[in-house]
Amino acid sequence: MTDYGQDLLFGTFVTPTAQPARYAVDRAVLADRVGLDLVTFQDHPYQPSFHDTWTLLSYVASRTERVTVAGNVLNLPLRQPAVLARAAASLDLLSGGRFELGLGAGAFWDGVEAMGGRRLSTGHAVDALAEGIGVIREIWTADRRGGARFDGDHYRLHGAKRGPLPAHDIGIWVGAYKPRMLALTGRLADGWLPSLGYLPGGTADLTDLNKHIDEAAAEAGRDPAAVRRLLNVGGRFTAQAGGFLDGPPQRWAEDLAGLTFEYGTSAFILADDDPAAIELFAAEVAPATRELVAAERSR
Amino acid sequence: MNYGHPVRFGTFVTPVSASPNTPVELARRSEELGFDLVTFQDHPYQPAFLDTWTLMSWVAGRTERVHLAGNVLNVPLRNPAVLARSAASLDLLSGGRLDLALGAGAFWDAIEAMGGPRRTPGDAVDALSEAVDVVRGILDAGDQTPLRVDGRHHRAAGAGRGPLPAHRIPIWLGAQRPRMQRLIGRKADGWVVSLPNLRPGDLRAGNKIIDEAAAGAGREPADVRRLVNIAGRFSPRRGGLLDGPPQQWVDELLPLVVEEGVGTFILMTDDADMMARFAGEVAPALREAVDRELPAPLPTAEPRDSAARAARRDDIDYAGVPASLADSAVEPGDIAYPRVRSTYLRGGAPGLVLRPRDSAEVADALAFARRHPHLPLAVRSGGHGISGRSTNDGGIVIDLGLIDGIEVLDEATRRVRIGAGARWKQVAAALRPYGWALSSGDYGGVGVGGLATAGGIGFLGRKHGLTIDHVRAVEMVLADGSVVRASDTENPELLWAVRGAGANLGVVTWFEFEVDEVGDVGWAQLALDASDPATFLEEFGRVASAAPRDTTAFLVMGPPRRGQPAVAQVMAVVDSADPDVIVEQLEPFARIAPLYQQQVVITPYAGVMATASDGDHQGHGEPVTRSAFTREITPELAAAVADLLRSGVVYFFQVRTVGGAVADVDPDATAYAHRDAGFSLIAMGVDRKRLDQLWDSLAEHFDGLYLSFETDRRPERVADAYPPRTLARLRGLKRRLDPDNLFRDNLNIQPADADRAVAGATGVNA
Ligand SMILES: Cc1cc2nc3c(=O)[nH]c(=O)nc-3n(C[C@H](O)[C@H](O)[C@H](O)COP(=O)(O)OP(=O)(O)OC[C@H]3O[C@@H](n4cnc5c(N)ncnc54)[C@H](O)[C@@H]3O)c2cc1C
Repeated sequence: MTDYGQDLLFGTFVTPTAQPARYAVDRAVLADRVGLDLVTFQDHPYQPSFHDTWTLLSYVASRTERVTVAGNVLNLPLRQPAVLARAAASLDLLSGGRFELGLGAGAFWDGVEAMGGRRLSTGHAVDALAEGIGVIREIWTADRRGGARFDGDHYRLHGAKRGPLPAHDIGIWVGAYKPRMLALTGRLADGWLPSLGYLPGGTADLTDLNKHIDEAAAEAGRDPAAVRRLLNVGGRFTAQAGGFLDGPPQRWAEDLAGLTFEYGTSAFILADDDPAAIELFAAEVAPATRELVAAERSR
Repeated sequence: MNYGHPVRFGTFVTPVSASPNTPVELARRSEELGFDLVTFQDHPYQPAFLDTWTLMSWVAGRTERVHLAGNVLNVPLRNPAVLARSAASLDLLSGGRLDLALGAGAFWDAIEAMGGPRRTPGDAVDALSEAVDVVRGILDAGDQTPLRVDGRHHRAAGAGRGPLPAHRIPIWLGAQRPRMQRLIGRKADGWVVSLPNLRPGDLRAGNKIIDEAAAGAGREPADVRRLVNIAGRFSPRRGGLLDGPPQQWVDELLPLVVEEGVGTFILMTDDADMMARFAGEVAPALREAVDRELPAPLPTAEPRDSAARAARRDDIDYAGVPASLADSAVEPGDIAYPRVRSTYLRGGAPGLVLRPRDSAEVADALAFARRHPHLPLAVRSGGHGISGRSTNDGGIVIDLGLIDGIEVLDEATRRVRIGAGARWKQVAAALRPYGWALSSGDYGGVGVGGLATAGGIGFLGRKHGLTIDHVRAVEMVLADGSVVRASDTENPELLWAVRGAGANLGVVTWFEFEVDEVGDVGWAQLALDASDPATFLEEFGRVASAAPRDTTAFLVMGPPRRGQPAVAQVMAVVDSADPDVIVEQLEPFARIAPLYQQQVVITPYAGVMATASDGDHQGHGEPVTRSAFTREITPELAAAVADLLRSGVVYFFQVRTVGGAVADVDPDATAYAHRDAGFSLIAMGVDRKRLDQLWDSLAEHFDGLYLSFETDRRPERVADAYPPRTLARLRGLKRRLDPDNLFRDNLNIQPADADRAVAGATGVNA
C-alpha cells in the first residue's frame, strides 16, 4: 500500500493521426472544454500516418485554455536534446506553464535509422536518455552563470547559452518498464509514465516496478514521492460492470481509486479517441475518483 | 526581368522569449493588416529567442489566413526528415499555410556548443542540398516507395513518406553566395536574401546564377520565387534607400519587381505602426504600379512550376479551365492529386479533377467537358461507387465533394436539403439531434450523390424503403449546362428518372429528402458457422424475409479457407430501442447455425454509420463484381452460390434483404423498377472472365440487377438494370436531355433513336 499523496490528474491519450488533419485537435479541444488536466500524444516521428507530435502539441496548446499538454512519450533519439530543451521552455512560456516533458529512450530502431537517426542498443539508449535529461536540465538552468557544459558519450554541450527559463518547473516524465529505465526514472525523473496495456501481469506488476523506482530514488537521496506515478489506461464504458475498467463510470472510479491506494498512481490517462468516452471520463469518472480518494485520505 | 509571380508581402518578427506574447501579437497584427506571410528568424542556440518551430506552430493556432515561414530554419540543428514531417503536419493543421525556408547555418561556434556539427562553408552547402532531398522526398507522399537518400551529412534509409501536406510546401533557401545560388537554381523553389546585406548588382548577379542553374537542371527560372527581406524607415523627407515617405518606398521597390523579378518583400520590423503604414501605403500602391509597368497583370494565384506542368496530359486545354474552377482544380502534378485520383475501389489517373462549389460551377465544368468530347468524363460524389466509374485514365473528373451542405428546410415535414458530396456518415450525424434518420447503405463513407441517384439499399430499408423513396426534389445540371429543379410539380419525369438512373441524365448537386423519425436502433453483428453454406443461405433467406419489417439483415460470406471454420457474418438493424424486441427479432438469425460471436448494441443510426473511415481513397486496379436481384433464395440458388464460393473465384459474397417498404412502391413510380425483389446479391472477385462466366451461368435464378453493384461493362447489363418499359422511358428522356451522350461512362442508356416517338417523355423546364 503506497499512496504518495499527490493530487490526482486525469488526461487523454489521443491518436495523433494526420488524417483527418484536425482529428486529434478536436479531441484535445474537447478534453480542454470538459476540464481534463492533460492531453497527451504518442510520438513516432518515423510514422508518416501521424502528425509530428511536437508540432501538434504546440498547435493544441495554442488552441486550448487550461489543459496541460505532454508527449506520451517523446522520442529522444530523433529530437536533439538541447533544441528540445529550448523548444520545451518556449512552449511552456507561450502556454503560460501548460507543458510537461514526457520522454522516452526510443524503441523502434529501424524507424529511427530510416529517419537518419542513430541505432542504439537498449543499454546505450538508456545511457543516452540519462544524458539527454542532463542536457535538458542544464539548458533550463537559466540563472546559473557561464555556458552550459555536458560531456556525455551521446550528447554534449560545449558552453551553450542557458535558457530561456521555462514558465514553471517543467516535470520530466519517463516511459519505463525495465529495471535500468526504472532506476533512471527514480534517479532523474519527476514522473513515471507506463501503459497498463504493456504490463504482462496487469496492475499487479506495479508493485514490483514501483519498488525499483523507490529504491533508486532513495539511493539518489530523493523522496520517492518526488516521482509522480502516471498510468495510461483503457477500458470500456458499459451499463453493467463486467470487470476492471469495464462498466459504468462508478465502477471505473472505484478501480482507479484502488490504483491510487494500492500503487500510488496519481495520474490516469485514458487511451481512447471516442469523444463520448472522453466526456464520461471527465464528467463522471474524474470527480467520482477524486471523491473516493479524498474520503480515504482524510480518514 | 519579372518571373510572373504574384507579389506578396510579409513581415519578419523577432521571436523574443522575454515577452513571448509580443511576437504572437505582431504576427496576428500582420494578418489583420493583410500581409500574406509572417516569418521568424531561427537561431536555436539563442535563448533570447523562442524556439522558432514551436512559435510558428503556436502562431498557426492563433491566425487564420496568413502563411508562416522560418527566415530561415537552421538545418544543422534540425533533422531534415523530422522537419519535413513537422512541416507537413503544420501545413495540415494550419490549412495549407506553411512555407519552408531553410538555411545552411552560419554561427558554427554556437551550433557546436549545442552539440551540433561544425561544417565548412562548402560542406554546409552539400549538407543543405542533401537536406532538401530528404525534405522533398518525405513531402512527396504520392510516391509509394520508401525514401532513400544516402548523403554524407543527411540520410534517409527507407523512410516512409508523408504525411501529405495540405498544399505544395515550397522550399526556399537563404543564400548569399554563388554555390548556394546554384543549389537554388537546381533544386529549390525560392531564394531568400536580405537587401541590407546586398551591394548594388548583387541581386541581378544572383538571379543570373540561379536562372542558369535552373536551366541547366531542366527547370525554368520562374520555378524560383525571389524573396527579399527589407528594412528601412518612414520619414517625411527623402533620404537614403528606403528612408523616406511611402511613395519613395514604392519608387524604390518597383524596379526590384519589374527588373529584378522580386516576388516577395518581407519587412523587417517589430514596430506595429510601421507595419500598418507599409500595408496601407506601400503594398497596395506598389501592386498597382507593378501592374502598370508590366506588359500584363500578374496572376493572383501561384503559378504551377515546370515539374507540375510537365505532368499534364496533351489533350486537355489546361489554360482554358474556367476561371471559377481554376483555383480548386487538381492536375496530375499537384500535391493534392494523390488525394483525388482514385476512388474507394478503383485506381485512377485522370488528367484533370474539377471541384465545383455550386450548380453554376458544375455548368462551367460541363461546358469544359463538352469541349473535350474525346475524353472520358466522370462524375463523383463520395467516390465509393463500386463501378469505379467516378475516376478514369486521362479524362476529366467532376468531383462534387465541396458541395456537402446539410440543411433542415422544414422541421414539421422533416424536409432536409443535402449536397451530393456529403457522406452518409455526416448525414446521419446531422440528423441525429432531431431524432431522425434517412436509410442509406451499410457504410457511412458512401457519398450521397451516387447512392441517391441509384437506389440506396440500406439497413432501414424494409421499414422505411430505399433512399430514393425519400427524394422529394433535386437540383440538377443537365448536359447542356442548364440548371433545373425536378419535383412532383416541376419536371416530374426527370424526378422519376433521377431515382434510379440519375447518372445518365445529369449531375445532381442538391437533394431534398423527407426523412424519417428513427430513435435508437438495435445493431447486431453475428458470426455464425457456415460449414454448410447452401443450407445456411437458404435458412437466412427464409428468416430474413419472414422477419417483421423493422428488421433488415445483410449477410456476408467468403470462400472456404483451409483449416478454418467457414463463417458467415450477419449484420442486422432492428428499428427499435426496446432490448426485448431486439432480442426477439434477432433470435431466429442466431438459431440458423452455431453462433461463434455476437455483438449487439443499442445505438442511434448515426452510430451504425460512424465507423466509416475519413481517409482519402486509395483504390488500386479495377473492381470486379457482379450484381443481381432475386425474389427468393431457392434451394437451387443456394446450392449454386455454395458452388460459386467453393470455386474460389469470389472472395466476398453479400446478400442484402429488400422487400417490405421497398416493395410497396409502384415499379413505375421510379426508374428503379425491381420492386418485387426479395434480395440484392453482390459477388466480388479478381478475375473478370471467370466471374462473368460463373455469374452468367446463374442467370436463371436472377430477376434483374442493382446497378450500384455492377461492374460488367457489356451492354446487356442495361436491360438487366431496367425492365423494358422503364428503359424505353429512360431512352426517350436521354434523347431529349443528353442526345450527345455526355454522361456515358456508366451503365449507359443509349438515347432513343431519333425517328421513334417516345411516349411519356415530357419537356424539361429550366
Ligand atoms: C463499402 C461500400 C458499401 C456499400 N454499401 C451499399 C449499400 O449498403 N447499399 C447500396 O445501395 N449501395 C451500397 N454501396 C454502393 C454505393 O451505393 C454506390 O456505389 C454509390 O454509387 C456510391 O456513391 P458515391 O457518391 O460514394 O459514389 P461515386 O463513386 O462518387 O459515384 C458513383 C457513380 O454515381 C454517379 N454519380 C455520382 N454522383 C452523382 C451525382 N451527383 N449526380 C449524378 N450522378 C452521380 C456517377 O455515375 C458515378 O460514377 C456500397 C459501396 C461501397 C464501396
